[in-house]
Amino acid sequence: MGLFDLTDTVLQRGLEGASLRQQVLSNNLANANTAGFKRSDVDFESSLASALDSSDPTQSLNSLAFAPQTDSATTMTLDGNNVDTDTEMANLTSNAVEYETLAAIAQQRFATLKAAMGS
Amino acid sequence: MSNLFGALNIAASGMTAERLRMDVTSDNLANADSTTGANGQPYQRQEVVLQARGQNFADVLGNAQAGVQVAGIVGDPAPGRQVYDPSSPDANAQGYVTMPNVNTVTEMTDLITESRSYEADTQALQTAKQLYLKTLDLLR
Repeated sequence: MGLFDLTDTVLQRGLEGASLRQQVLSNNLANANTAGFKRSDVDFESSLASALDSSDPTQSLNSLAFAPQTDSATTMTLDGNNVDTDTEMANLTSNAVEYETLAAIAQQRFATLKAAMGS
Repeated sequence: MSNLFGALNIAASGMTAERLRMDVTSDNLANADSTTGANGQPYQRQEVVLQARGQNFADVLGNAQAGVQVAGIVGDPAPGRQVYDPSSPDANAQGYVTMPNVNTVTEMTDLITESRSYEADTQALQTAKQLYLKTLDLLR
C-alpha cells in the first residue's frame, strides 16, 4: 500500500471538480448581461460517485474528466439569456463551502501523515 | 492547470465589461440634453454589446479564455424626440429642436443593473481568492 490511498485520490479529484465548478459559475456571472448566453454547470459529484461505484475506483477516478453541461433549453430574459444572478451566487457559495470542506479534510490527512513521519 | 486563477480572470473580465457599460451609461446621461455634437447632429445614445469569450465552456477550458468581452459600442438608431424651442440655435425652420434619444429613466435602471452585476463579479472574485488561500493552507 502506497503513501496515498483512495480517499486522497477522491479528495484531490473533488478539489479539482470544485475549482472547475467555481470557474463555470464565475463565467455565468460574468456573462449575466450577454445577449443569448446560456448558463453552464458541472455536476462533478455525480461523476465522482459513479467512478467510485466502478470495479476499479482508483483507475476510474484518475481517468475521470469533468464535463460542463450547457443549459440551452431555458430562457430568463428577452435577450435569450438564462443566467439568474441569485441562483449563481447561491451555487457559488455552496461550492465554496464544499471546496473548503474538502481542503480541510485533505489538510487533516496530511497532518496525520506528518505525525506518522514524526515531524 | 489554470483552475482557480481562471476563475479570477473570468470574474475580472466581467468587472471590466460592467465598468465599461457604466462609463457608457454615464456618457448617455451626461449628454441627455446635448442637441449638437461634433458632427452637428444631436447626441446619439450609445450601447455596449457584450459577447461570451469562446464558443462554449468545454472548448476554452484549457486555455482559460472563458469570460466575457465587449463586442462593440453601437449607437441606438431610435429617433430623438422633437421639442418646440424656436430660440435655440439648433431649431429647424419650424422651430423644433431634435433632442438626443436618451431616456434618463432607462439609463438609471441600466446603471443599477450594471452596478449589481459588478458586485456579483466582485463576490465571485472574493470567493475564488478565499478558495485559493484555503489551498495554500494545505501546505502548512
